[in-house]
Amino acid sequence: MPKKVIVIGLDGLEPTIVESMLERGELPNLAKVRQNGSYRRLQTTYPAQTPVAWSSFATGTNPGGHGIFDFISRDPLTYQPDAALSRFERPKSVLAQSRVVNQRKGVPLWQALTKAGIPSVVLRCPCTFPPEALNGKMLAGVGVPDLRGSQSKGTFYTQDRTVTAQEHEQLLFLDSGPEIVSQVIGPRNTRQNPPTDTTCEIKVRVDKPGRKLLIQTGGTPAGIEVAEKSWSEWVRFRFKFSMLQSVTGIARFYVRQLEPHLEFYVSAINFDPAAPMFPVSSPNEYAKELSEKVGLFSTLGMAEDHNGLNNGRLDEAAYLAQCELILQERERVMRLELDRFTEGFFFTLFDTPDRVQHMMWRFLDREHPSYQPDIAREWEHQVEEHYQRCDRLLSSVLEHVDENTLLIVLSDHGFGSFRRAFDTNTWLCENGLLALRNGRKPAADMGEGFTSVDWSKTYAYAVGLGGIYLNFKGREGAGILDEGTEAERVRKAIQSGLSELPDKQTHRPAIRGVSRREEIYSGEFAGAAPDLLVNFHRGFRVSWQSAVGGFADNLIEDNTRRWSGDHIVDPESVPGILFMNRFASQNHARIIDLAPTILSYLEVGRPDTMEGKSLL
Amino acid sequence: MKICVLGLSGASHEILFSDERLGNIRRLMDLGLYGRLESVFPPTPVPAWMSMTTSQDPGFLGVYGLRNRLDRSYNSATPTPASVHAPALWDAITLQGKKSVLVGVPPNFPPRVLDGISIGCFLTPETSQHEFTYPANLGEKLRELVGDYPVDVKRASNTPSDALVEEIVNMNRKQWEVVRWLIAEQPWDYFHFVDIGLDRVQHAFWTSFDPQNTQFQQGNPYQQVIPDYYQLLDEQIGTVLEMIDDQMIVLVLSEYGAQHLDGLFAVNEWLVNEGLLVLDEQPLSSTTLEKLNVNWAKSKAWAEGNADIFFNVKGREPQGIVPADELEALRQDLKLRFDALTDQSGRRLCAGVSKPSEIYRSVTNVTPDLMIHFDSNWRSIDSVGHGGNYLLQNDLIYDACGYSTDGLFVLYAPNNPLAGEYQGASLLDMAPTLLDLGGYEIPKSMQGKSLVAGMEKKSGSGLSESDEKLIHDRLAGLGYV
Repeated sequence: MPKKVIVIGLDGLEPTIVESMLERGELPNLAKVRQNGSYRRLQTTYPAQTPVAWSSFATGTNPGGHGIFDFISRDPLTYQPDAALSRFERPKSVLAQSRVVNQRKGVPLWQALTKAGIPSVVLRCPCTFPPEALNGKMLAGVGVPDLRGSQSKGTFYTQDRTVTAQEHEQLLFLDSGPEIVSQVIGPRNTRQNPPTDTTCEIKVRVDKPGRKLLIQTGGTPAGIEVAEKSWSEWVRFRFKFSMLQSVTGIARFYVRQLEPHLEFYVSAINFDPAAPMFPVSSPNEYAKELSEKVGLFSTLGMAEDHNGLNNGRLDEAAYLAQCELILQERERVMRLELDRFTEGFFFTLFDTPDRVQHMMWRFLDREHPSYQPDIAREWEHQVEEHYQRCDRLLSSVLEHVDENTLLIVLSDHGFGSFRRAFDTNTWLCENGLLALRNGRKPAADMGEGFTSVDWSKTYAYAVGLGGIYLNFKGREGAGILDEGTEAERVRKAIQSGLSELPDKQTHRPAIRGVSRREEIYSGEFAGAAPDLLVNFHRGFRVSWQSAVGGFADNLIEDNTRRWSGDHIVDPESVPGILFMNRFASQNHARIIDLAPTILSYLEVGRPDTMEGKSLL
Repeated sequence: MKICVLGLSGASHEILFSDERLGNIRRLMDLGLYGRLESVFPPTPVPAWMSMTTSQDPGFLGVYGLRNRLDRSYNSATPTPASVHAPALWDAITLQGKKSVLVGVPPNFPPRVLDGISIGCFLTPETSQHEFTYPANLGEKLRELVGDYPVDVKRASNTPSDALVEEIVNMNRKQWEVVRWLIAEQPWDYFHFVDIGLDRVQHAFWTSFDPQNTQFQQGNPYQQVIPDYYQLLDEQIGTVLEMIDDQMIVLVLSEYGAQHLDGLFAVNEWLVNEGLLVLDEQPLSSTTLEKLNVNWAKSKAWAEGNADIFFNVKGREPQGIVPADELEALRQDLKLRFDALTDQSGRRLCAGVSKPSEIYRSVTNVTPDLMIHFDSNWRSIDSVGHGGNYLLQNDLIYDACGYSTDGLFVLYAPNNPLAGEYQGASLLDMAPTLLDLGGYEIPKSMQGKSLVAGMEKKSGSGLSESDEKLIHDRLAGLGYV
């Protein structure tokens, strides 16, 4: 009998919650796995972020071995922040096609398996976009953008002209009348100068007695009915770049209200799995085959529309309903593949527990600035209910586990509350390490991307979710620091200044400490990492503004968003979970140990680059 | 300006212009000029590529098909590079001291000697035993790159099979790999590749693909082979477009198109039945013309290749019996008889029966006495022994598709003043158009016209859009920011 490894990733499951629910018997399937095997808290990566941790899972290396250090990177020459997971390469010539390059490097375990002739099925692993050739099948996960190149950007439609556009959304006003004509916004046509938005016309009609909206989509299906407060099925749109070139994408409608103002929402336009603009699977036709077998499914890396909820366009029920739809799609794909899985390596990741916790944590934490006592009772059990939902989906997995199967269930990091936001760039500015041009004030004059920084007097700057870069001569576009004593002074000033820095309002320390690159990273790509990494105490996180090279109003301020849970804190304080149906020989399990564990179970030699140890 | 020509032998505009999945072709069409391309008669790889590259019709070239009589004997031969005397595109380019690379542009055996590189075509015999490149030592380099270099498929059988698909795709991959290597590593100003695999795929799998064909079976395992091959070509073209810059001319074209085939007409069999061709021995099974025991002393006419009819004229052919003064009468008589031929449904079989001097501007070499232009859904074959004139299928070599005189072209040039669909372009127009856009002298003898003759050339354009906006959009919706 050929050996099998089944790995189920449950993004962001928090050990303390899992442990207490196990105690109460609320996670029967996980309990079963533990009973016949083992459970460990799982050490995550520096920083504790989804793309970083899963890349370390895949390669068995610290981030220095795979080059993914954050969701956000920066171009040292221009200081501009950019999405770090994949790089969109603009074509060199009008004849060439634009392409996307995966930025995760290193040797993932499925490549070692491919070399050994063992097949893999890898579903939705972060940082696999665009997917690589392998022995087996791969469907990309976090890192796949929407059709406009964004991480997730929906469109809100309203008849209320007083509404203003919120962050990360498009806003379209609707006329009144029996039949209202509007449009769905597709990808930008960058071959036109200036670039224009491609669109598809839609016509909507309110059916008040039926409490539903009738939509002529102009796509497939051509006509749909969507009941108030519910999501539609997927609609496929065709966006034309020209007479000859077009691309299809899929989206769902959500009808928020029919009156007094008609308001509805269209999800981010996902790549059509049957004909994606860029490949989302390997082989290329695999996503199409899946869509034919299980129906259309979201391909977007972050398909759960947290922005819709953050902006108040979707309510909690709508958001959770969408999470459930997405979970079901992924469950269908998983079942299809497990039913035909006979040997080798199977991996699938369920992202929704992470997304649910990000948005619903405020109902668990009475001290959270966006805790809403009036509706907390309705939603405070959602996180645990979602854990139970995840446990339930394991029951069909367990059916496929036989004596030749190694089963691993894990999360990449834990979770906690994100109450207070620390603005690293403000701190650098206040401490003379970052200078603004004459008379500029941080919050007022700085958009994203360091528009007003005086680089000739700047020693350090923060970009991304915890990273600080020194302004090095020869590396940065307008660098002033040389490696040596001066740089060392800057590093030490930041480390000593930030460690255990108190939050004057809550009287709690905000930051545990600051790691230096060389302490936490090694390997071929370590040179691309931030020079310093801020390790926050639980409850704190870097501010929204510093993450993209901007400034907040205050050094530390309340996080008032619905995005209320987070995990980008000191990695030692947010371990993930690890369940195996085998005995784990090590007490201290790390996420980098999983790839060696899987390879050793399948009796395949590990690439030299892998650092972890087999847990078997 | 550099010129890159990618020939897709027999590409059908019905497929290529309508399949949206062909993203690279679509992009090229969007940026350039495209349309149908009227081929020459006969619309077959030889002489069509010769006509394309010289802008001369087959009469002027003296090449009337794949097999041509070199003298008045009863023998025929396939053309060689030396058969072409008219100046070709690359001659105009060489005049300016520029280099050309020709890959699989027929005829190229023995390999054409020119300032640059030439690599064999489907007329090249076994490449492991013959020199197939100029310079000769390049063959070794190609073997290093891709192993044995296939100039054509060997096809033990031409009936649809997995093995045949694999063989054609394998040839495609090797040839395009060589194309990419040449483009990247060798100096060139004119590059011309002909993908013969498409012609081979269509002649083997058209019946499996086209519901118009009477033998088509829905759900047969080879239904997608042709569309898949177009997609493969689109990907290969995409890889080339990635390598080159947009300050050069790119022409994708086919020298003729493809059509479904209703049947084949055995011309020599028919001539035998009509008493015009006499055999010493009636073959028991299908036998090609060259293997027939013809009684020349009793034969008045025979057909070569694509229904080129020759008369056995006294004093002209070695054993001629048709008196020279009866030649014209025989011609008229046969013309009427061919015109009267119909298929089973009563539809006329011949679209035209002509004296070469009537259809070509001028004629040279040993000219057929009559040329039969079969309807595009019919083909002629010259073998005998089928037991009838009308055949559903060629039992010597399976053939699934007919030749259409409608080819296609997609032309990108940064300075092209024309864009969009173009109607009325001819295969003979391509060479003068390329030379015109490329800034070369057009030889006066070329028959075709530049599609942009006398027009002011455009200055180039580029991409736009601020990086900042792009990046802002890329981070939008991340959630953490």
